[in-house]
Amino acid sequence: MRMLNFAISALLAVMASTAAEAHAFLDHAEPRVGSTVPTAPREVILFYSQNLESAFSSIEVSDANGARVDLGKPRINAGVMRVGLKQLPPGTYKVRWQVLSVDTHTTEGSFSFHVGK
Amino acid sequence: MSRHLLRSLALANFIALAFTSHALAHCFVGARFLPATLATDDPCVADEMSMPTVTRVKTPDMPPAVEWDISGDFSKRITENFGVTISQTWTHIRQPDGTLTTGFQNLGTAFQFQVMKDRSHEFALLTGLNVDWGHTGSTGSGLADTFSRITPTISFGKGFGDLPDSFSWIRAFAVTGQAGYQIPTNSFDFTQNVFIPQQLVYGASLQYSMPYLKSEVIDLQLPEFFNHLIPIVEASFTTPVANNFGNPYTTTGTINPGVIWVGSYFQVALEAVIPINRESGSGVGVLGQLHLYLDDMFPTTVGRPLFGGTSTPPRKLTF
Repeated sequence: MRMLNFAISALLAVMASTAAEAHAFLDHAEPRVGSTVPTAPREVILFYSQNLESAFSSIEVSDANGARVDLGKPRINAGVMRVGLKQLPPGTYKVRWQVLSVDTHTTEGSFSFHVGK
Repeated sequence: MSRHLLRSLALANFIALAFTSHALAHCFVGARFLPATLATDDPCVADEMSMPTVTRVKTPDMPPAVEWDISGDFSKRITENFGVTISQTWTHIRQPDGTLTTGFQNLGTAFQFQVMKDRSHEFALLTGLNVDWGHTGSTGSGLADTFSRITPTISFGKGFGDLPDSFSWIRAFAVTGQAGYQIPTNSFDFTQNVFIPQQLVYGASLQYSMPYLKSEVIDLQLPEFFNHLIPIVEASFTTPVANNFGNPYTTTGTINPGVIWVGSYFQVALEAVIPINRESGSGVGVLGQLHLYLDDMFPTTVGRPLFGGTSTPPRKLTF
């Protein structure tokens, strides 16, 4: 039991000492992943599990034809990345992102959301 | 040496081969994260450590003996695409009459090369050479062989995220698989007076990623605990294929349904161990593992390749 306590304590100590460094996972998004929103959003906001390196993180939003509908350069603050959108008609939109967390791990992903009823 | 003990030792050897002689890697392929699997290998090299992996099973004997295996392994990338794993297992077998057999299995190593990672198709391919070194364990107690076993192996992983969006929740599935040809360095065991067969060692996993479902398909706003789960079914088999004169060509193995909880720095897994036949064990066993992602815990020291700089050097990201 003492060995188990020691092992758990050591693990927790290690976790605490490295708590700001890991792959950045997408925690949630606005609009939500796979959701349908009744009115067109003005921007897409991605919330990550780690802080991001702004120079090496990017986002792209495109319509069903593959045409870009975002306004370009994203704004990044800590673990949040957002990009403005053009006026979106009803339809399906694809968000593709790549980010670099502060410890240099790269992650990427994509998801869709729908505008309209 | 009793017949019961021999069967127990054979099972212990199978457990050791199945659970400890392969690398367990932190595996990203595009948007897909393939967790470290327990009974089979995943298809990536990485800097990781499993400490401990604990297995409790009952041997095929009548009445069965109870076997505990406690193992650990350490995986280290030498370069970005080449890694080495060292593994060791301590085994404890208690016979129904109370007789105890304890000791270490042979030391296991794996030398692995990442052949490819196709991000867009979530596909990874790995080749490896697994070696269990003879005379490095408790040969006196019969738990370790006096000869080595060499197993060229190939492993793959495939996520289904590249399916069209219309496949919806099916896209969160992934499969992994591996196959190896095990060659012992001795062909005959004079202590037990039996041939030592060459064996096909193979297995697969089917897994469903709740993290992938949430971040790539649909955010169901489930409680956070469930968003970290990866339900999984693993299967691991061994079939003698050559130099097995006088013995049945019986396939042994287990089916392991379970679940993996994935965090940012570690994962915890629990699986049932279901023997596929009488020769593979008695009743349902259990397998648990704590697995540490060293590349996330120590990204600037042990979590990076020895040669070749950082694991993922900063680059301008493009789609």
